[in-house]
Amino acid sequence: MMQLAEDVAIVAFSQTPSHAHFNDSEPAMIMPCVNSVVEQVGMDRHDIDFTIAGSCDYLSGMPFAFVMNIDAVGAWPPVYESHVEMDGAWALFEGFVRLQSGDIDTVLVSGSGKCSPGSYREGFSLQTDPYVHAPIGLDPRTQAGFQAQALIAAGRATERDFAEVVARSHANAKNNPYAQLSGDLSVDDLLAEPYVQQPLRRLDCPPTSDGAAAMVIARADRARELCDNPVWIRAIDHRIDSHHPTLRDLTDSPSARIAAERVGLHNGPVDIAELTVTYSPEEIVLRDALGLNGDTAVNPSGGPLTGSPFMAVGLTRVIELARAIRNGDGGRGVAHASSGPALQQNLLCVLEGDR
Amino acid sequence: MPQLHDVDYTLEYPYTRTTGPVIGPFLTGLRDGRILGQRCGDRVLCPPMEFDPDTFATLVPDLVEVGPGGEVENWTWVAEPSAKHPFDRPFGFAFIKLDGADTALVHAVDTGGDPEAMSTGMRVQAQFRDERHGSVADVYFVPEADAAQQVIEPGDEPVTITEHLIGLRINEPLYPHRARFAQGLLDGKIIGQRSPVTGKVYVPGRGYDNMSRVLMGESDEVEVSDVGTVVAFTELNPVQYYGQTETEPYVRCSILFDGTDQPVIGIDIRDMTVDEMRVGMRMRCIWRDPEERSVEDIDNRYGNIPETVYARFELTGEPDVPADQLKEHSW
Repeated sequence: MMQLAEDVAIVAFSQTPSHAHFNDSEPAMIMPCVNSVVEQVGMDRHDIDFTIAGSCDYLSGMPFAFVMNIDAVGAWPPVYESHVEMDGAWALFEGFVRLQSGDIDTVLVSGSGKCSPGSYREGFSLQTDPYVHAPIGLDPRTQAGFQAQALIAAGRATERDFAEVVARSHANAKNNPYAQLSGDLSVDDLLAEPYVQQPLRRLDCPPTSDGAAAMVIARADRARELCDNPVWIRAIDHRIDSHHPTLRDLTDSPSARIAAERVGLHNGPVDIAELTVTYSPEEIVLRDALGLNGDTAVNPSGGPLTGSPFMAVGLTRVIELARAIRNGDGGRGVAHASSGPALQQNLLCVLEGDR
Repeated sequence: MPQLHDVDYTLEYPYTRTTGPVIGPFLTGLRDGRILGQRCGDRVLCPPMEFDPDTFATLVPDLVEVGPGGEVENWTWVAEPSAKHPFDRPFGFAFIKLDGADTALVHAVDTGGDPEAMSTGMRVQAQFRDERHGSVADVYFVPEADAAQQVIEPGDEPVTITEHLIGLRINEPLYPHRARFAQGLLDGKIIGQRSPVTGKVYVPGRGYDNMSRVLMGESDEVEVSDVGTVVAFTELNPVQYYGQTETEPYVRCSILFDGTDQPVIGIDIRDMTVDEMRVGMRMRCIWRDPEERSVEDIDNRYGNIPETVYARFELTGEPDVPADQLKEHSW
């Protein structure tokens, strides 16, 4: 269990809806989120000590796209700024670690991505091994298909289980104004759909989405000055499994298990889990690896199956959990972000309400 | 008349990578019609690795032939192949444990488009492509019963470099403000956006004022003069990188159009040498005839005032603007 040098809280957050296609630039998508969080804390933009963003240039279809994104965060006069070529949840991780040094008080975190102009299947195949996987276009949906098949072969899940994840996610999303897809789906109807990636069907896979998210985090004393209801980040951890899928037991997630142990997930109640379930079988793997039972509400927002703006979707999980805690839907929970195919990388963030 | 069009381009990067002591022989083997694994203790790893995946200890290169037959351990059916996949018709991706190997290779299985032919435990066999480049894509797999006898002519030199042209097709409409800017050029007008906060005029507008963090739309748009002042220039000597179309040196300059606060960068000058250029010189856009204008090079990310809309920029004959009046705009 990690020891923190500084207590850190989320004091403001904002997200865009998950758009099927946002017909303007990525900075134009991020800017309202940044303006919203700056307004929520009532600070001058330039009094925020550190700024960090997560995005993917290749997804944006432009070298150095992340530099253009700085237009959105208010960078003139120059600000102290950094970037991760990862989901915004990893930007949050860096901002959280940066606050541990104790010399600064506030961090502006953002994450953004536009999947609609390109093809995430083709783009993210480049996350794989460049010698033996990328040249054959081994894409994330294929690797999710392997994970699904492995679960079925091991007797751990059925296609009906996958469909139940989809139906519950879409039903939960009916209450989420930011969701791209929602509604009441019958499991039997879902199972009657054709395969797109046997054994996966269309809605077992995420929609193509554009979106952005932003938050401000602060050290404890400053957090109490900036808002009445800070949501505390109790722990964050990030672990990685092999990038060779054939060397992994795809029915399990050892990296998520280790991360859960490191963040002390079960040292308190887990009322809510907002999980980056990009493909429906991942929920089954994660519930098991994280040791979640019926006491935990999983993806009450609907999760990524109902809106998946890559590079913002993990940070959005943290936001959805923080919002639920602020709303009193639970006192403590876990947000999960993933990177790489078939849950290769897992980041967990434990949040708790103010006491 | 010329028209606007959706953005549609492919962003490509040619990657070359050294292959190293284990992957090099593996790719050489594929080119020569053989599949090699790497010994790791009493196991054989295929795909071969330079390290023990359990202990991460470095392995001494020790390659041994495996396959060409193998068994499918896991599979998934690709109903909609992507442009990067080995086949343009539906096929299976599979974990294939080759005969003689202890780990599985991920690769494509061609069953002629039939998903029913795929199963865990099925026997498959390697087939080599007629054209081989020392890449993992030189090989694919078919059900054992469908395998053809192949005679493969080995190559000469070992594979020490692998080339991989990656690319992503970007396809989307022009953003509304980009469409209005591009239509303006077709109409012989330069459209800028005036910040509602500072009053500064940006050309082309980006849909926001990044200094004040406000979005800008059609109501913030203004037509600006097509006469302006050179604030910076340079001579480009084209390096012949992948995708380069220029061959001869040429001048590129930035022009601050009258009434604006941000120079338009990247304006190409073909009829003057770099020695004839001066900061402060006054120039006017001479537009092409309307039916000859094109904005094909304008997308949502790149393209300001392309050569395809103007014939040339010519001197107005006015005296130069003193350079020290332009130092805020030197970009």
